[in-house]
Amino acid sequence: MNTKIEKELRELIEAQVISPEVSQNIAQYYANKSTETPNRLFTIFGVLGSLLVGLGILLILAHNWDNFSKMTKTVWAFIPLVVGQIAVGYSLFVKKSSLWKEASATFLFFAIGSSISLVSQIYNIPDSMASFLLSWIVLAAPLLYLLKSHTVAILHLIFVTAYACNIGYANSGQPWWYLAMLAYILPFYYQRFKANPSANMTTIYHWLLPLSTIICLGTFIESNDTFGMVMYVSLFGLFYNIGKLPFFNEKRLRINGYLILGSLGTTVTLLISSFRWFWEESDSMSMAISEILIVITLGILALVALIKNVKSNLKQEFNLFQIAFLAFAFIYAISSFDIITPWIATNVLVFALGIFAMRIGSQKNRFSILNYGLLIIAVLIACRFFDTDISFVMRGILFISMGAGFFLANYIMYRKQQ
Amino acid sequence: MNKLLFGIGFIVMLLLQWSLPGKMIFDQQLAVNQGIPYKFKTEPIDPSDPFRGKYVWLNYEIGSFISNDTIWPHGADLYVYLETGEDGFAKVSQISKKELNIELDYVKTKVDYAFKKEVHFSLPFDRFYMEESKAFEAEIAMASANQVQRQQNQEPTSICYALVYINGGTTRLEDVFINDVSIIEVVLQNREKEKTTIN
Repeated sequence: MNTKIEKELRELIEAQVISPEVSQNIAQYYANKSTETPNRLFTIFGVLGSLLVGLGILLILAHNWDNFSKMTKTVWAFIPLVVGQIAVGYSLFVKKSSLWKEASATFLFFAIGSSISLVSQIYNIPDSMASFLLSWIVLAAPLLYLLKSHTVAILHLIFVTAYACNIGYANSGQPWWYLAMLAYILPFYYQRFKANPSANMTTIYHWLLPLSTIICLGTFIESNDTFGMVMYVSLFGLFYNIGKLPFFNEKRLRINGYLILGSLGTTVTLLISSFRWFWEESDSMSMAISEILIVITLGILALVALIKNVKSNLKQEFNLFQIAFLAFAFIYAISSFDIITPWIATNVLVFALGIFAMRIGSQKNRFSILNYGLLIIAVLIACRFFDTDISFVMRGILFISMGAGFFLANYIMYRKQQ
Repeated sequence: MNKLLFGIGFIVMLLLQWSLPGKMIFDQQLAVNQGIPYKFKTEPIDPSDPFRGKYVWLNYEIGSFISNDTIWPHGADLYVYLETGEDGFAKVSQISKKELNIELDYVKTKVDYAFKKEVHFSLPFDRFYMEESKAFEAEIAMASANQVQRQQNQEPTSICYALVYINGGTTRLEDVFINDVSIIEVVLQNREKEKTTIN
């Protein structure tokens, strides 16, 4: 136990603030707590160690030791794999601590990669980066459920995202296997969510899963960027509505990755769409079947989450962020007839979102949300300077008004809190 | 029962993790044992892979073929049938969208693009992995071998080619040669020459 606490306890007994029994109980509590903490620390260091050793082996093998014969190199390709498999077997059947499970699973994850990469290297096998990553992910996937390893789950998410980016952004294909690999991790996520909803690890998944999806959705955009925006706004609409479900809504904002990413994503995509050139360059009739299917699926899922939200809390006030994706879909539909109306409508929508955010901030007495709303309006006005012809004096007056608005709104809120 | 399933799952996972690299090695060995060696004229360029290390990327002379068929969509499967030419190097005999029931060896690849009856493609065995310090030197060796000829307005006489075994669509890139000397040997010879010049 910490000597500082012991000293404090002695002082408290001498000053007769607490009895010796209470002091003993407190000492016992800290003694128990300190035996738990090193365990968690050991797990973190164990995982970090395995991660670094695994990556180190990969790099050493990448050197390509051409002084060795093919046979020697082939044997070397399998040694890390065998060591990893033995360690995993040992953690599964003999030593069942989470430290062993996490560390051995992490090591085996990289050993699989090093064995495939070394065989490819020895025999000059012409695999693309994407198929190499996919083989690696698939072979390591069982570790997720056999060892219930969080590190493997995080590595799985990082690697499937890298795989999708490689296919979609570097090679202009569509990474359909990404969806299968993402679906593969969902039961694990759900189990963690049910078993330990407030754990830090579960919070990491609440952020990583939506982040991975946001990064990879762009790889499915085939025809035009305007329809890509519809895809993204639908995804953000889904995330926002998930974030508003009773479980997330009652929790602290920092664990609600869905709500924050959904709100920020909706605002940013709509701000991009608020430029006139965006609608002038759009070809609303050109869209691929796969894109339409993605929008329909995301739209239906977002609607289901919205209905669930409405049903669970009938008294809750109308929130524009929750239906912004439907409004944008309607605006996009109009764009096939006219470009001015959708341009103006998008600006009105962003402005209304800013007002709504300010209103929510004022109702909840939260400075952060109030200023978020003000920021949306400020950025919208700043953006309009690029595609509208307004005199410098007028622009100056507008900026001063915006600044004054920030001061005034925050001051009113401050007075309200007093 | 659960323990039994768990154990079976674990063993299946181990076997799967062995099976992919194992199959890769088996196919490659079969290509050498039963396949026919072909020489492909090429030019090496040295890039790097974050996991698999440095390699020379091989830019082959064979890269297109004239076809009467005009519909060759980008990314479609392509079977390139090969034969050995009079100069001893591989040349394309014919191309097809499907596997043909003929005696010739083939390489399976994808259509890059088609323009005016000319179908463009890339041969898949385009990576020759080398020890990290030698990949760049290999590229320099090839470039400088040809440069001397080009400066004297002559056609390059140094011939760089890849030796590839082909067996039923499986290919194994065995080695890359500059004037019949293995590229690794060329790099080592150049290092020796440099040492004697310095001494």
